[in-house]
Amino acid sequence: MFRNSYDNDSVTFSPQGRIFQVEYALEAIKQGSAAVGLVSKTHAVLVALKRNAEELGSYQKKIIGIDSHFGIALAGLAPDARVLSNFMRQQAMSSRLLYNRPIAIKRVVDSIAEKAQVNTQHYGRRPYGVGLLVAGVDKAGPHLWEFQPSGMVLEYKGAAIGARSQSARTYLERNFEEFENVDKDELIKHGLQALRDSLAQDKELTSANTSIAVVGVGEDFVLYDGDSVQVWLDKLGETRSSRRRAEEEPATTEATTTETTTETTTEGAAGSSTEGQTGPGGPAGPLDPAGENMDTTE
Amino acid sequence: MTSIGTGYDLSNSVFSPDGRNFQVEYASKAVENGGTSIGLRVKDGVILAVEKLVTSKLLVPQSNRRIESVDRHAGIVFSGLIPDGRHFVSRARQEASSWRGTYESPISVSTLADRMGGYAQAYTLYSSVRPFGITAIIGGVDENGPQLYMIEPSGSYWGYHGAATGKGRQAAKSEIEKLDLKELTLREAIKHAAKIIAVAHEDSKDKEFELEMTWVGLEETGGKHVPVPKELVEEAEKWAKKEIEGDDDEEDEKMEE
Amino acid sequence: MVSGHLSVDGVHVDMEHLKKGEVNLGTSIMAINYDGGVILGADSRTTTGAYIANRVTDKLTQVHDTIWCCRSGSAADTQAVADIVNYHLKYLSINTGEPPTTRQAAALFRELTYSNKDQLSAGIIVAGYDPRNGGQVYSIPLGGSLHKQEYAIGGSGSTYIYGYCDANWKPKMTEQEGIEFVKSALAQAIKWDGSSGGVIRLVVLKKEGHERHIFFPDEGYAAREQD
Repeated sequence: MFRNSYDNDSVTFSPQGRIFQVEYALEAIKQGSAAVGLVSKTHAVLVALKRNAEELGSYQKKIIGIDSHFGIALAGLAPDARVLSNFMRQQAMSSRLLYNRPIAIKRVVDSIAEKAQVNTQHYGRRPYGVGLLVAGVDKAGPHLWEFQPSGMVLEYKGAAIGARSQSARTYLERNFEEFENVDKDELIKHGLQALRDSLAQDKELTSANTSIAVVGVGEDFVLYDGDSVQVWLDKLGETRSSRRRAEEEPATTEATTTETTTETTTEGAAGSSTEGQTGPGGPAGPLDPAGENMDTTE
Repeated sequence: MTSIGTGYDLSNSVFSPDGRNFQVEYASKAVENGGTSIGLRVKDGVILAVEKLVTSKLLVPQSNRRIESVDRHAGIVFSGLIPDGRHFVSRARQEASSWRGTYESPISVSTLADRMGGYAQAYTLYSSVRPFGITAIIGGVDENGPQLYMIEPSGSYWGYHGAATGKGRQAAKSEIEKLDLKELTLREAIKHAAKIIAVAHEDSKDKEFELEMTWVGLEETGGKHVPVPKELVEEAEKWAKKEIEGDDDEEDEKMEE
Repeated sequence: MVSGHLSVDGVHVDMEHLKKGEVNLGTSIMAINYDGGVILGADSRTTTGAYIANRVTDKLTQVHDTIWCCRSGSAADTQAVADIVNYHLKYLSINTGEPPTTRQAAALFRELTYSNKDQLSAGIIVAGYDPRNGGQVYSIPLGGSLHKQEYAIGGSGSTYIYGYCDANWKPKMTEQEGIEFVKSALAQAIKWDGSSGGVIRLVVLKKEGHERHIFFPDEGYAAREQD
């Protein structure tokens, strides 16, 4: 039944000093759709790909606002993320109540990290099955943290989690040096470009399946969902992954895609704006062929 | 390994017929996979340093600190599972703070080490928990001067003049043994600490690393555990690099003879 | 109602608050720093109402080798508190392998008296010698506050000797000067305070350890040749 005798629970070390249950929990993140985060000197951005369990079902929430100065994107078990985000909201509220100031991003991230660690050391508990990107602004400026079920938290300039996120990460690694000095629009565009690269072959970004959130120095956390996403997709132009584009239009050079593919863009835009909003009667985009959308993961 | 397949290594708090607790030994394996940590206790204070492996170039440099303060006068560095280390540090903070609450005085480093040794030991007693996958080095100054302790997953701890743990501990230890720690000052010792970490990193040279260093000095920092100033760390790294290259040259010469 | 059963003058224990027949240390106590450590002193009268329950009471209580306290207020309360502090200090020194500091002892007294202020009637002076800090005197009056002082006086009899102490106190007295100062101040307190009396007991704490002295009223509290 088990792959080996050391992976039954999170209180057993393997002879190599590994804890398989924790490693498996990390795998749960990859079951969820991709989320990307990135920061400039002035802004922190989250973008995420939503999935709907069935054609007539609504899309699962991928980005959650926690306080006016920060929010999270998630990949993996959504209910676990809800537990963590409720906890973060409590932490954020108590900071405002006790100290009359917004909580520092590192503090709130450390607080969930400590919670997660305990689940990896006690029998009868399981590690959280969700990865988070926490983006926010505090006194020290914009921050992006990645949270893992192991209780590991790291601060990044750009990060991607979830299914096929390696492609997004590759984009971030190639371009992150530019992020620091770009403006809000440009940063969101970079985020969407990274997210776009993590798309499956037959998919593209639409206003129905894309979530965007921005927070900046002196700007509250804003979540763009549904129709309001279209503006940003229009700015992006190309909504398919660069790999797919390369296959479908081998002649078109990558550098000029945004300008030259107006046709595709309008098509995509028209398609999604009519199907628009979340909720019943959602978009008719092609369903996940890999069957990745198990109902509790997103 | 003889332990595998016997069944005695599947649960914490279980002795094997020859009196070993394998889960504790496996926890030590987790320590051996982590970046090297060291502590140096010298004439006028203590230095803690860690080889922070950079796993991605997207990480924010200098963020993600690994050495933490537990009280004004003491800090902890650790190798192994980082989340375990964080939890350990947070418990150490509670101990230090509760001591202050009761006695209105700073906890001595030996008492802190004793409390934390006891805490780690408790995690070897029950099948419902697992041991800590870390070895922690506690450094600080108290009424008895500079103090340095190292705590293992089993809960055992000893006092040290120089301590090293993590992947490169063997190389680090033999470097530390070359030093006359009782005679060194903090200012001199930061250079050596930088060198020790660099030497310990040699085996995993393909990976990038960042040096993180803190100190707590009787006079130097006024008894406070703080990061070593950036300029001094850079200077120490430069010195260490030159020193290591010099060592290599010497070896080359010998080989030519 | 004033918490801690302090009466309006801020010094006397509100006698109405003691249980009927409760033993009270209507007292004169003090402790001073001198150049080699500290000296604690106290009268020896214990009363139950108007009745003198004990005329040779020892109100100077050891809580560790060279950490002692002077007790005033309810005899039962202060004995209990001193016992608890004694326990904690013993435990602490065994655990750390080092002698506790006077400051740590004072912190424990304060914690106990403050957190139980509504139940207790205890005014305590803590004085001790530890190798690192030398002699130290702490006063913990009824509310449970903590004050580090060069010298401290307490108990009902202390009201009569504020002026005397202020006029005659000087820092860095010799042991002999210190003993004289404490003894003469307490003699005045006993003279004027009806609920203080009996013998004068002193304890000297210094590097070498502790030393006790006793002075008798029928000898005018004069020093006697040591037997």
